[in-house]
Amino acid sequence: MVTAYLLLAPATLLLVTVLAYPVGWEAWISLTDLSPLNDRGAVFVGFRNYVRLLTDAAFWQAAVITVGFATLTTLAKLVLGVAFALLLARPFRGRALVFLAVFLPWAYPASVSVMGWYWTLSPPIPTAYAAFMGHLKGTVDHAIGTGAWSFLAVTLFNIWRGSSFIGVLLLAGINAVPPELFECALLECRSAWRRFWLVTVPLLRPFLALAVFLSLTTAFADLANVWLLTAGRVVFPVIGTQAYWLAIKAGQFGAASALSLMLVPFLLAVLLLLFKAFDPPDEARA
Amino acid sequence: MNPRPWWRRLGHAGLLLATAVYCVFPIYFMLVQSLKSAEEDVFGNPLIVTRPTLENFEELFERTGQPRNFVGRALKRDYPFFVWLENTLVIFGGSVAITLAAGLAAAYALGRLRPPGYRWWRRVIFATYIVPHTILFVPLYQVVIRLNLDDNPLVLLLVYPTMALPFCIWILSAYFQNLPREIEESALVEGASRAGAFYRIVLPMSRPVLIAAGIFALGTIASDFTIASMFLLSEHNQTIPAGLGTMEVALDELLAVAGINLMAIPVVLICALFARGYVRGLTAAMVEGA
Repeated sequence: MVTAYLLLAPATLLLVTVLAYPVGWEAWISLTDLSPLNDRGAVFVGFRNYVRLLTDAAFWQAAVITVGFATLTTLAKLVLGVAFALLLARPFRGRALVFLAVFLPWAYPASVSVMGWYWTLSPPIPTAYAAFMGHLKGTVDHAIGTGAWSFLAVTLFNIWRGSSFIGVLLLAGINAVPPELFECALLECRSAWRRFWLVTVPLLRPFLALAVFLSLTTAFADLANVWLLTAGRVVFPVIGTQAYWLAIKAGQFGAASALSLMLVPFLLAVLLLLFKAFDPPDEARA
Repeated sequence: MNPRPWWRRLGHAGLLLATAVYCVFPIYFMLVQSLKSAEEDVFGNPLIVTRPTLENFEELFERTGQPRNFVGRALKRDYPFFVWLENTLVIFGGSVAITLAAGLAAAYALGRLRPPGYRWWRRVIFATYIVPHTILFVPLYQVVIRLNLDDNPLVLLLVYPTMALPFCIWILSAYFQNLPREIEESALVEGASRAGAFYRIVLPMSRPVLIAAGIFALGTIASDFTIASMFLLSEHNQTIPAGLGTMEVALDELLAVAGINLMAIPVVLICALFARGYVRGLTAAMVEGA
């Protein structure tokens, strides 16, 4: 047993230093009114930060947009990912090439592809396509509101990269299923649609659950980070940007911590539901 | 089975083509821009390059900040791209190595040795993915300063592994859990030590899953922009993503696109090389009793 704990130590130590301690700090700070702007130090205020947020219409707007964005992109990524995986599941000529194409959006480092993506959609003035993109941006922003184009860019980028990851993950899932099961289903059921829902989906359940969870978390992370780059924060406030501005512009660390922790219970609930689906099965049963 | 009718084959081919174009077009577009001369960038067709040139890539390495034409030194900065490249190699290589080493150890403990509560231990590790990163840098900065790693690339060696570890531990420990115990026990019976059995039998067997974990780690680490640009402030400490983020895009757009490609191409090549192994490893991790 000592060996087990020793082996777990490096990973646990890393996670505690980089994540657990900062989150603990954030949770504590969210109960105070800490701000670098006042000198008297933090005062414990209980759950006042949370109560103020829950009675704030702006928070609810941001929460709806954030959750809506995560849900919609996850759905889109799932649909595309399942389609990619099913397309690639059967052998055909040139399969290796199409597989590489599907793998690329994820393999291409997002740190730089997001810049390229952003500059493509909001190009610097001198480029040949600037006028065209500018026109498109103007049309969309005019129709929906300033910043809509940037929001769309973030959404499309998230779907583009995420569908690639999910497609490859689900392909691995299909490979893990014994082909006899699919052949059996082919004999039992003629409708491809029913076969998909009655056989493919249940068999891929652990992979789908894993994909949903990772997609949700990356959606939240993407929103918070990329949104800051794209600078269009007028029409679509999201939790991540609101918290960032509250911390950096307004200097209200307490309220900002509370705000950024607001979605944690939601994600935790989703995760607990999904654990059932993708926990590795116990060999003891066999 | 009867051959499929021509219209179904055509539909299939059409779907494949649409998939490939959808996935590759943005990457193709960035590649094309980086190969353009300044003249073609302004007047040419944005979708193709007629006279490809590598001058943007050369300039990335050679720019020394002399005044060029009418745009003076003050406007056109020079960029220490070689230093960025070096930092990136060290940070990425080191982070992947740390992730794999720490992940392998933890996964073996959770999947094989199974201390009490191992399932919840693994779940809690995986649950760290729900931590919101938005303002985490405020407390994280305190940790960094306490460790004396302020503006030091080494700080990323601490942060990056935590982004990939939960998933890597998850798949590796699932694999170890599924691996029949008899394989290891037969080696123990033959007189091998636990460590010996691990090195000579378990480790070689888990190579596909290790490859999958490594590729996942590389892809995750290479996708970070925020943390690198937040913690690496001085120019000579930055990685390529952090450095590119400080570029004046309006003035150096072609240079920046060349930088994007220089960063992406090696990562993509490594991923493509191991792409099959990646899928095989993910499969192996999830199959019952592999």
